Amino acid sequence: MRIVIGEGSCGIAAGAGKVHTALTEALRGTDASIGIAGCIGMCFLEPVVDIYDGKTLLKRLVKVSADDAGAIAKAVKNNDLSAVSYLEISEEDSVFLKKQTRIALRRCGLIDPESIDSYLEDGGYNALKKVLSGMSPEDVIEEIKTSGLAGRGGAGFPTWFKWNAARKSEGEEKYLICNADEGDPGAFMDRAVIESDPHALIEGMLIAAYAIGASKAFVYVRAEYPLAIIRLQKAINEATERGLLGDSILGTDFTCRLKIKAGAGAFVCGEETALIESLEGKRGMPRLKPPFPAEKGYENKPSNINNVETFANVSWIIENGGEAFSAMGTENSKGTKVFALTGKIKRGGLVEIPMGLTLREVIYDIGGGIRDNKEFKAVQLGGPSGGCIPKELLDTVIDYKALSATGAIMGSGGMVVMDEGTCMVNMARFFLDFTTKESCGKCVHCRIGTKRMFESLTRITEGNGKEGDIELLTELCEGIRSGALCGLGQTAPNPVLTTIKYFRNEYEAHIKEKKCPAGECAALRQFVIDPEKCKGCTLCSKKCPVGAISGSVKEAHIIDTSKCIKCGQCKEVCRFGAVEIR
Amino acid sequence: MCENCCNSDLTLMADVFSDMQKNGDNLITVLQKAQDIYGYLPTDVLYEIAAKTGNSPAKVMGVATFYTQFRLKKVGKYLILLCKGTACHVNGADSIEKAICEELGISDGDTTDDGLFSLKTVACLGCCSLSPVMMINEETYGSLTPSKTVEILREIKGREAK
Amino acid sequence: MSDTVKLIIDKKEITAEKGDTILLAAKKNGIEIPNLCYLKEMSPYGACGMCVVEAEGSPKLLRACSQKVSEGMVINTMGERALKARKIALELIMGDHKGDCIGPCSLNCPAHTDCQKYVKEIADGDYKSAVKTIKEVISLPASIGRVCPHPCETACRRQHVEEPVSIAYLKAFAADEVLKNGEHILPEVKAPSEKSVGIIGGGPAGLSAAFRLIQQGHAVTVYDKMPKMGGMLRYGIPEYRLPKKVLDTEIAEIESLGVKMINNCTIGKDITFEEIKEKHDAVLVANGAWKSSSIRCEGESLEGVFGGIDFLRAAALGEKPAIGRKTAIVGGGNTAMDACRTAVRLGAEEVSIIYRRTRDEMPAEDIEIEEAMEEGVIFRFLTNPAEILGCDGRVTGVKLQVMTLGEPDERGRRSPVPVEGEFITLELDSIIIAAGQKNDPAGFEMLETTKRGTILADERTFATSIPGVFAAGDTTNDGASIAIKAIAEANEAAKFIDAYLDGIEIPHKKPVISEREVTDDMFTEYEKHPRIKMPQRAPEDRRNDFTEINLGFTEENAREEATRCLSCGCHDYGHCKLIKYADEYCTDCKKLKGEYHKSFKEEKLEVILRDQGKCILCGLCVRACEDIAKQGILGLVGRGFDTVIKPEFRNIDIKSICADCKKCADVCPTGALKIL
Repeated sequence: MRIVIGEGSCGIAAGAGKVHTALTEALRGTDASIGIAGCIGMCFLEPVVDIYDGKTLLKRLVKVSADDAGAIAKAVKNNDLSAVSYLEISEEDSVFLKKQTRIALRRCGLIDPESIDSYLEDGGYNALKKVLSGMSPEDVIEEIKTSGLAGRGGAGFPTWFKWNAARKSEGEEKYLICNADEGDPGAFMDRAVIESDPHALIEGMLIAAYAIGASKAFVYVRAEYPLAIIRLQKAINEATERGLLGDSILGTDFTCRLKIKAGAGAFVCGEETALIESLEGKRGMPRLKPPFPAEKGYENKPSNINNVETFANVSWIIENGGEAFSAMGTENSKGTKVFALTGKIKRGGLVEIPMGLTLREVIYDIGGGIRDNKEFKAVQLGGPSGGCIPKELLDTVIDYKALSATGAIMGSGGMVVMDEGTCMVNMARFFLDFTTKESCGKCVHCRIGTKRMFESLTRITEGNGKEGDIELLTELCEGIRSGALCGLGQTAPNPVLTTIKYFRNEYEAHIKEKKCPAGECAALRQFVIDPEKCKGCTLCSKKCPVGAISGSVKEAHIIDTSKCIKCGQCKEVCRFGAVEIR
Repeated sequence: MCENCCNSDLTLMADVFSDMQKNGDNLITVLQKAQDIYGYLPTDVLYEIAAKTGNSPAKVMGVATFYTQFRLKKVGKYLILLCKGTACHVNGADSIEKAICEELGISDGDTTDDGLFSLKTVACLGCCSLSPVMMINEETYGSLTPSKTVEILREIKGREAK
Repeated sequence: MSDTVKLIIDKKEITAEKGDTILLAAKKNGIEIPNLCYLKEMSPYGACGMCVVEAEGSPKLLRACSQKVSEGMVINTMGERALKARKIALELIMGDHKGDCIGPCSLNCPAHTDCQKYVKEIADGDYKSAVKTIKEVISLPASIGRVCPHPCETACRRQHVEEPVSIAYLKAFAADEVLKNGEHILPEVKAPSEKSVGIIGGGPAGLSAAFRLIQQGHAVTVYDKMPKMGGMLRYGIPEYRLPKKVLDTEIAEIESLGVKMINNCTIGKDITFEEIKEKHDAVLVANGAWKSSSIRCEGESLEGVFGGIDFLRAAALGEKPAIGRKTAIVGGGNTAMDACRTAVRLGAEEVSIIYRRTRDEMPAEDIEIEEAMEEGVIFRFLTNPAEILGCDGRVTGVKLQVMTLGEPDERGRRSPVPVEGEFITLELDSIIIAAGQKNDPAGFEMLETTKRGTILADERTFATSIPGVFAAGDTTNDGASIAIKAIAEANEAAKFIDAYLDGIEIPHKKPVISEREVTDDMFTEYEKHPRIKMPQRAPEDRRNDFTEINLGFTEENAREEATRCLSCGCHDYGHCKLIKYADEYCTDCKKLKGEYHKSFKEEKLEVILRDQGKCILCGLCVRACEDIAKQGILGLVGRGFDTVIKPEFRNIDIKSICADCKKCADVCPTGALKIL
């Protein structure tokens, strides 16, 4: 039997490493082997341990802890896996994977990301072989065109078009760049792909490099992804050793060198011209466009930039044909899309679905709906560049056009679900805080504009909003959208505009009534004890740092709101749920 | 002279510079390697880098201050990276930050006077399902509550006191 | 292949060279597209967002500095979207611009005297230039310098360090210095215009208008009812503050320019208003406010009750009003201070001030109150006359109601309220009511008046209800105020009279300027250097006569004091590209105010003063230093909102590496860089 532990960053953070050590110890002396896999995407069930017989999955164990190692080892030794059925994934949770269609993620969590053989055994590099043994660069571009693949980084620009532009651009030396500077808070699709299936990225990039005529390629990975960098470097080394990368690939005259460049912490470097500046070792400040990178990119040479997920689809398209890809999806959005489903969702993790599913299907059918029996309020798509979509629009299909029409964007795949306890004004403030900190500072609209929006939203959430603030914010948003230099600035107003559009009443409640309907904004909330629920255990009054809670033992306690500093500790310690926020 | 003009051992940079010659490493890579060596970027090292990379000191400073990864000051023994990503935000990262700040008496970007802890908030650690999350040195702590956070910090303090 | 393309910019068909940017092509055809971060010699940067234009068929705005022209393009540089984006850019920049176009001293001066300039000239020892600068606005610098309650000093930023600069006394000093040497700084007078102006009233307003209008070549006649010119400066301000000799000299200077001065001429008695109107092409009414206000209190008609200014006038005329041994002055303003101190000098043994609020609320200047106290005046705060007591028609005393301060109102002002049943009786020989003054409408009945009886004058043009008749100073609108306000109004009125005589109209537009909001903590870097006190005669000495109490600054004092000026007003005002656009686009500089970007103490390169508060991060200096000067000393530091431009990081001797080319300052579109 083969025991495979899911060891992506998420799994490791959840304790997969400890499980690995414990299992190694417990299984010592048996003929069972232990291996690792990347991330299967079921973050809510980490750590995940799969037990295989050859290639057949016998059992998938979830939420495994190091303490379970003994039981697992015993079951393996006794060849009686039913003994660990209590760890097995439930029928209900299995739905999470069953409802997905995995292309970019097709090998994630199933193969060993640190072994090229594991990739090759699964048919890896067949697409590259196919390309190099008879397809011209134009053929490749044509196939991609047929597939309808569009940039998965957010903008959704047709991939073939960019490749073609770079191919046709004059110049001996051309560069291919992979954007793995996944900076959207709440998004980790690219990290999962690199950590779980690095060769898929390399293979996709090689095919692209061949298509555009580039012999040098870079992967720009954010510095916060150390494991991804280690695994990708290992994959590069192995692929080079096997003649799949470097000079005369597979014995042909196609040469391509691939290097990792680690980012150094700047969200704006996800913008392609800023990324190029950063690759050149400069401050990551966006350039003026035109000229576009296809014309003057890295070192002023023609360059093509795509993101990780885009490349991860390429080998599948070459192997299965563009038509098979375009058969999935909608009129104007083909194939599948990966989302990082997080927030107040029951089953959070990585989800890959065909375009055209509705948001409701993803959130309820795959994600299992909202946690703790709360009400769904909104879903945030596209991170700081995106927007919040309300309940009424849950039946919107996942499609570039349809999502844009709501004011949000497809984005790179962050999908954060919010419940009734999330304040939408504070949500907008959160994103503006982010953009303000991440603005490169070059153009006026973004540098000062985001700061002013943030200040205005802060005032509103602190109860200092005034009549006219919504209008001023809207005016500011429009100005920044049309005047900012790069995509980061131009889209920075989206979280504000969409929350104003769909949750204007919340803004008004903050401004006019000085109330936060969700009860999240500290300055506006009041902690009260429900006398019905309070058992008079006195725990809260002991915990209160300012002595604002009074009451005798076994009698309902009262919070003196004039003393209360709204730290929330009473609510945290109460075992009866008697402390409420109003 | 500024506080960071310590007398760094510049010979430690020899390999970095020869790698640079060989691989064509850019300024950011050189700075990253220097930070790995010294733990931060001392001013004299930055000058040396400027001289060896052929950049003006102003340019080196420009790059070193643009990226959040680079530190111009020493950090504490324990570097707390607190995730403020969307999922963590939704699940209460602000209250965790408050708890850390109150417990340690520092704010984001600061180091405690005893040099034990530094706090840095980061955009997203990518462990959204465990939110709210913080990382102390290499260790990740998930599903935090303010009191759990304080416990973790006190445990480290206690360990260090011995 | 042709090397040119055809396109349309602002409906104008243009042939442009291939490879030209829209901005360049427009410029070659006389269309200026605004920009702040662009310079032909350098590659486009795209920071300011001012050059955005609309292009037909493009959903996005294009940056004209980088977008190349192409065949058939249709560009609109003044489209609504582009204008909006530019306006927002300017609002954002101005809301984060920590700079004063004009010093607060000058802004707060009703006449906008260029204080910063003349203070600098005094610091440099160039007193003639200083007087010339002052006389651009104030025709009587030695006099006004002595008496002005100096709103300039109230606004002076130096008070955030310790105390304001002694601007008013510096003015008097410079004027005295020049006059001492027998020199007269006089303006040029234009060739005769064949037009004449009659001015009624020879006080600060009338004389200022005369001084302005004579320079324009108009014949000017000033009619005044008093024996000598000077108005309130002569008859309202006591000799010990403003010696008549000083005033005489300065009035003589104005007269020497050709102004005809007619004294002892009362309107309605010696000449009618109609006659003056007939005689002149334009008339300015500036007859002041000479009637003391009543306090509506029983006993006001008793003998021994004087009006404040009536008393001061009598004293100035040498009439020695009979105030007796004990006198009291009702009121808390500067007139009350002048009156009580005059009473002391006339020999009264006990002089009291009756004021219904406390010292904190007194409108008189602090220094005046202090000096009065030093001279032995008794201050009876929180008292108010209930009845003036008399016997045989003569004042014998006053019954004072004791007051207390009530609850603060909306503006935080606490009104006095009577303490029921509490009274004090004061024995007196006379009482002087210095509770305000009013104008006298007699002789001007044909002019429309305000509810309060003052002459109605347009607040901008100072035109009255009769065409060709203007009015300014204490006699108009809100009534009596300080001399410098009367001067300010007269200067403006003169401008509009001149325009009226030339038959032209002056368009109305208040220029947009940047003003800094400051707090004390922004000034901690300055070394403290206390204000130099005006040397004075000792109280026991000065209280006996009317000789001037101030001894005047020494030259050393004055120059030292002048160097305390922080030079708040921007050196670049007038050349600044930013404020030019802000003005053009009617930018509301305060609309998007918030936290300012961080800025550090100005750092001196060898020859350049840098003010990061005014920096708009256009990057021109950095690029000029790198690309043009090939130095690379300047660089961007930090990220986002708090990005700053700094010379390289170690405080090494910058002088040794700066090539002193001044390119950076040349290219700066604002006043952030200054060549020393």
